[in-house]
Amino acid sequence: MIEVEGLTVRFGGVTPIDGMTVSFQEGTCGLIGPNGAGKTTFFNVLSGFVKPATGTVSAFGENLLKLADYRRARWGLRRTFQTEQAIAKLTVFENVALIHEHSHSDRRARRADVEDALSFVGLDAFERSAVGTLGTGPRRFVEIARAVVGQPKVVLLDEPAAGLPDEQTQHLAGLIREIPERYGALVILVDHDMSLVSACCQTTAVLDFGKLIAAGPTAEVLHNEHVIRAYLGTEDEL
Amino acid sequence: MFPTDFELYKPFFVTGLALGGVYALSGVGIVVLYRATGVLNLAFGAIGAMGALISWTLINHTSFPDWASYLACIVFGGLVTFAYGVIFGPPLADRDPLVKAAGTLGLTLILLGLMSYLWPPFGRTMLLPTSNYSYHVGFAGVDVTQTQIIGLAFGVLVTFLVGAFLRFTKLGTAMRALADDREITSTLGVPVRRVEAAAWLGSGLIAGAAGLLLSDLVGLDAVNLTFLVISSLAAALIARLRSLVATMVAGLAVGLCTALLTPILFWPNASFPVAKYQYASPFVIAIVALLFLARRRVVTVARTEG
Amino acid sequence: MPARGVRRGVDSGAARARSVSPETVVRAILIGGALAFVLFALPVLLSTYWIKVLTAVAIFAVVALGLNVLFGRAGLVSLGQIALLAVGGWIAARFLFLTSLPFPVVLLLAGLLTAAVGTLLGLPALRLSGLHLALITLMFAGVVAIVVPTTNFPNGGSGVLGHTESSLGSLAIRRPSIAHSDEAYFRYTVIVAALMFLLALAHVSAKAGRAWSAIRHSEPAALAAGVNITLYKLYAFTLASFMTGVAGGLYAGNVGKLYSYQFSGARTIDSVSLMAVVLMGGIFSLWGAVVAAVLQQLLPALLNDWFAFFRENPDFLFVIFGVGLLQVLVTAPEGLVTQFPRDMRNLGRLIIKPFRRRSGAAKGPP
Repeated sequence: MIEVEGLTVRFGGVTPIDGMTVSFQEGTCGLIGPNGAGKTTFFNVLSGFVKPATGTVSAFGENLLKLADYRRARWGLRRTFQTEQAIAKLTVFENVALIHEHSHSDRRARRADVEDALSFVGLDAFERSAVGTLGTGPRRFVEIARAVVGQPKVVLLDEPAAGLPDEQTQHLAGLIREIPERYGALVILVDHDMSLVSACCQTTAVLDFGKLIAAGPTAEVLHNEHVIRAYLGTEDEL
Repeated sequence: MFPTDFELYKPFFVTGLALGGVYALSGVGIVVLYRATGVLNLAFGAIGAMGALISWTLINHTSFPDWASYLACIVFGGLVTFAYGVIFGPPLADRDPLVKAAGTLGLTLILLGLMSYLWPPFGRTMLLPTSNYSYHVGFAGVDVTQTQIIGLAFGVLVTFLVGAFLRFTKLGTAMRALADDREITSTLGVPVRRVEAAAWLGSGLIAGAAGLLLSDLVGLDAVNLTFLVISSLAAALIARLRSLVATMVAGLAVGLCTALLTPILFWPNASFPVAKYQYASPFVIAIVALLFLARRRVVTVARTEG
Repeated sequence: MPARGVRRGVDSGAARARSVSPETVVRAILIGGALAFVLFALPVLLSTYWIKVLTAVAIFAVVALGLNVLFGRAGLVSLGQIALLAVGGWIAARFLFLTSLPFPVVLLLAGLLTAAVGTLLGLPALRLSGLHLALITLMFAGVVAIVVPTTNFPNGGSGVLGHTESSLGSLAIRRPSIAHSDEAYFRYTVIVAALMFLLALAHVSAKAGRAWSAIRHSEPAALAAGVNITLYKLYAFTLASFMTGVAGGLYAGNVGKLYSYQFSGARTIDSVSLMAVVLMGGIFSLWGAVVAAVLQQLLPALLNDWFAFFRENPDFLFVIFGVGLLQVLVTAPEGLVTQFPRDMRNLGRLIIKPFRRRSGAAKGPP
């Protein structure tokens, strides 16, 4: 569980996150909101790239903000980015192993853990292929494998389905739903694709202009009139 | 520790200000080009050096009139820089500032190679006609040559002229717009390549002029003149590659500092022999400028919000 | 504890386990053969002059290797590597005169102490952008070039600096007891250089290399993966400087007498021309360092021999390096080294084919 209390971020003259208080329970949680709402900034706070002006973040009972940014992976934080982060020159195996070798000192479990993550996303056949030779779809799944390898505690997914055709998006949704059960991790999913969010997330929180405007079971939140107005400016259903 | 007799320092004030003026001049040339094109022209000194050598050859080995030979230095500076900018500017335009600067290092290598071939090491002097005239500044008790006055005057004058140009002319405004935001400026219909070419040309003319003045004030040595760019670079860095006036002040300061170190370091009573380290001062100043003034955040965070 | 998921069958697991690919074996054999040729055939075939030139090539290959790893892998630019070579040479010479430590120990010391200096030089890398880091290292090169004529190099004199002005008191730097002759010293140098390449390879193909790739690709992603960027950036400088320091020791032994004019004033530009040849040689493969050294040391010697023009104007080569640098920057910076391995790989595949068919393995891309 992640508990966020009074989180505020300021830089320049902007306040991307303003007094955010929310708790993410277990399973898969959605985080949605219009562009500029502060979702990626929130992820950046969790990753340690951005220091909040005030507020606390407590993850699984630990004060996450006290950890140095590069130590959070070792703690169990994993993350995907909006743009692809796998290194084209290295193989699929090496890209996933990279994550493991900087968060786990025990080398013996490495091969098994990496192969487990690869079979989870269905990329075992491509283990020795350079990532640069793969298509957009498989590359997105490499990002997922990197995000689940080695028993993470928290998995942050930032628009993981970007650029994927529908059937692959559905496959991805299935995987995302499985993560909490298979790896015991809490997943936070940021996306604009509402069908993906409804398919994966039991609960969802909504940000608008850095403020939390709704949080709760996904179906309820998506029908919440404030949320609809924030997205579309009209009363149409999402 | 160091001499306290003010008389000792007086002539060095003069040389310091004169040199500082030329450093300011070069610094302005470097900053304007950097702001307009993103290129930090490290070949600035080499260009001026070669121009000065060309002038020397024209004066001493041809029957060219002297004034035309001096002009040739300035014209050469403009032409070479312009040619480089037009040929290598566009292909490197979207690359990192490091890559762009590395290109100018390539130009430096080429020029140094050419200079070592065309002008084998040999004591050459360049004496501008203005160095034959000097004034005695009564109240201060020092002699000042015309060249030194020109050095200082040019530095100050060009700073304000260029500043006015940038502010009040159409071309200057276009350059400032480019400096602020390239993408938007090009979508506004500003002829980016033409504005950049103008910046290259102008900066090159300044390089030529600076080279000519320095060859008189400091001596006509290809390598020495090439590396004097460090002093101007230090001034530009202190001004964070932004403000022209700050560059000018920094250039004067660098010139004064390095010159005033001379009596200190050559003082026979100095506790340890540091005379030769004087030439390291521009490098040290540049290092300090870089460490304290060119910092960036450790991690760049994506600007797109979600 | 959640279920681990289905493990794959033993067969495919075993096939994918630590098997060495046929390509690697062929490559190792070819390299071993080439090395044997260099070590044993060349000293017999070539005159002492050319052996000394090739010794210099081996030495500068190590320096270029440092820069190749630093820039090619970690993405950090240093224009001060020649200055570090001078530092390494100075330290080695001082220890060789001051003590009677064996040559390899002195090399190690020179490497370690130069590594310490280089790591300090890398500290700005943590706070400065690429361009500013390059500038600071260039300034460092300038400062060293100015200090060197004053401190000079050790030549058997006394005192901290170990330098004596008198030509009577100045001695030649000693060489390893097993490698006095130029031919023997050549072999010694090549072996040390080969060890440095192995050291670089060990880093590049392992955790450090992957971490550097991650940092170069995207620092936020590397941080999110748990890479300690500070540590790995500094470590890149440490490794590159260590190798350059060892090269400095080898250089001292090769020339016998270190003169300040080799590193002072005008020679500041040597660090820039080193960067040019490293880029021209290619930064995507460690072999690029060998090409770089050939360009910087062998090419001038060959040109000197063939054309009187170069004998009189040695620095004219800078024009070629400058043009080469610009060409590499403008086109994709793969350098001269990618075409050769491509040809070799094709050759390798031709050799392997009959063996592959026999074992029946049909695996994907190499």
